Amino acid sequence: MSISSPEEKPFQKVMKVEGVSKAFGGIQALQDVSFQIEAGHIHAVIGPNGAGKTTLFNIIMGAYAPDSGRVIYKEKEIQGRKVHEIVSMGISRTFQNVELFGSLTALENVLVGRHVRTRCGFLSAVARWPWVKEEEKAAREKALEILDFVGLKKTGHSRSVDLPFGWQRFLEIARALASEPQLMLLDEPASGLNAVETQQLGELLIHIKERGVTILLVEHDMSLTMAISNEILVLHQGRRLAEGSPREIQDNETVISAYLGKV
Amino acid sequence: MYKRLVFIAVIVLTGQVVSNPYDLQLLTFIGINTLLALGLNMVMGYAGQISLGHAAFFGLGAYTSSLLTIHLDWSPWLALPFTLVFVGIVAFLVALPMLRLSGYYLGMGTLAFGMIVFFIFLQWRSLTGGDSGLIGIPPLTLGPISFEFGAAPFYLVWGIVFLSFIVCERLIDSRIGRALRSLHDSERASAAVGINTSRLKVQVFVFGGVLAALAGFLYAHMVTFISPQTFDFLMSVKIVTMVVIGGMASVWGSLFGAALLTLLPEWLHVFAEYEMIIYGLILVVIMIFLPQGLTRGLLDIYEHFKSRRKTLPKSHEG
Ligand SMILES: Nc1ncnc2c1ncn2[C@@H]1O[C@H](COP(=O)(O)OP(=O)(O)OP(=O)(O)O)[C@@H](O)[C@H]1O
Ligand SMILES: [Mg+2]
Repeated sequence: MSISSPEEKPFQKVMKVEGVSKAFGGIQALQDVSFQIEAGHIHAVIGPNGAGKTTLFNIIMGAYAPDSGRVIYKEKEIQGRKVHEIVSMGISRTFQNVELFGSLTALENVLVGRHVRTRCGFLSAVARWPWVKEEEKAAREKALEILDFVGLKKTGHSRSVDLPFGWQRFLEIARALASEPQLMLLDEPASGLNAVETQQLGELLIHIKERGVTILLVEHDMSLTMAISNEILVLHQGRRLAEGSPREIQDNETVISAYLGKV
Repeated sequence: MYKRLVFIAVIVLTGQVVSNPYDLQLLTFIGINTLLALGLNMVMGYAGQISLGHAAFFGLGAYTSSLLTIHLDWSPWLALPFTLVFVGIVAFLVALPMLRLSGYYLGMGTLAFGMIVFFIFLQWRSLTGGDSGLIGIPPLTLGPISFEFGAAPFYLVWGIVFLSFIVCERLIDSRIGRALRSLHDSERASAAVGINTSRLKVQVFVFGGVLAALAGFLYAHMVTFISPQTFDFLMSVKIVTMVVIGGMASVWGSLFGAALLTLLPEWLHVFAEYEMIIYGLILVVIMIFLPQGLTRGLLDIYEHFKSRRKTLPKSHEG
């Protein structure tokens, strides 16, 4: 997870979302949404409940196919592809309601996160070739390093359900980092965290960004979002309401009346 | 490692000490049932995919090899790889549409598959001998050794159980095993970390099916006579009960569950008439009171008491 040099990063825009729409029955969850994510930035998506933020994540990850529109990641169209293909292309996510593997230890959760970067299958698992042992050893070292990076070094052997809620949020980020993503989608990572933890989260996200990972961040905590984001996209009832720097968004009349004013 | 040595020692000792052919056969059946439970444990216990038709693969293994050896005069050793590949393909074809289902629907689907296979055994008389089954299945032989009676089949089956234990343990303790367990915990999150969940489910289903086919092969050539009843719905329920009793504790749970369900009917002769009811009761009681399985449940209770004894003096001070 070294910081990639400029020549390794030919894509100014790591992702372009173009005219994406998605309806569930009668509900138009997303309506003709377009925006672009600058490589290496923290790009926030805000909006009131039901604005379509999580739906946007599900479409980018391939969990849903959009009704229309395109999702372009590093110049390739990815809408409608399988989730596991998209993960191996370098996108990963966390969930709004933490979804860890409860019966697995913290370390094992991160190891599962490395699934797409390892390749041992049924036969090689049984045969235990020397390369399998090496792969396993390397995966463990990497997983420990990632746990350390998010500040959970000592919890490796606890079952993830036994961890305090705040730590579970950090563990889910660790798991998402394990696939060595270039783009991470974080769905309300601060929700349920106390003030100290939210502060730590902000620092962690900055560190992740410094390692060259682009972050698409859905967050309701405005002071955090304003403090760390490069751009902010505002969704409202499935539509793009505004987009700009934190300052521009804070001063935007439509946004204030539609969203910030109410909160 | 020392667990394995103990295991081998127990097998060898048992083979030496037990001489009664009836007891030896019973022990051999425990081994065969352990193979069935081990396979289903990977599917159900680890990957969390319910299957109520596991006996079908057991039966397909037994019938395929029997037919090849009786009608085509193949040597059982030649029939073995063919049988495993054939049942593996059947399991693959069944799994493809079936594992799109989940929960009750998967239960119903696999149950229906088990029924269909059972009725094929029963109704395709020209091939399977219908109700009366197949007789004259050649026993396994290796040079002068025949694996029909006595200690030879016992050692063969338990040797294979031993190898299957190693295979399962290695699978569980690997990238694949972690992926299976993650699937059990959250399919959505498994997909989100990049696991091809449908492929993994199909793979583990085929693995369980092939292991059951191996058990069927051993059973057919040891008993030299098979009939559909051995592979009916009751047998599928029995295998599920073995896994539930064993729980997800470890592969050892499967052995414990298999032993218990092989021996119970022997000990309690009243059992026969109420077999189905009793398995149903066992399942319900364990699911309600010890959802982690009997083995894990007993271990938990033990640990609970142990830790309580430790903390007791403290709580008196407080
Ligand atoms: N799978 C689904 N089936 C039906 N409706 C859905 C589904 N997913 C989302 N919706 C609907 O789409 C709309 C957008 O939901 P979404 O979860 O994307 O909002 P959100 O911006 O993430 O809201 P929140 O801040 O509450 O998380 C809502 O009206 C929601 O009820
Ligand atoms: Mg949401």
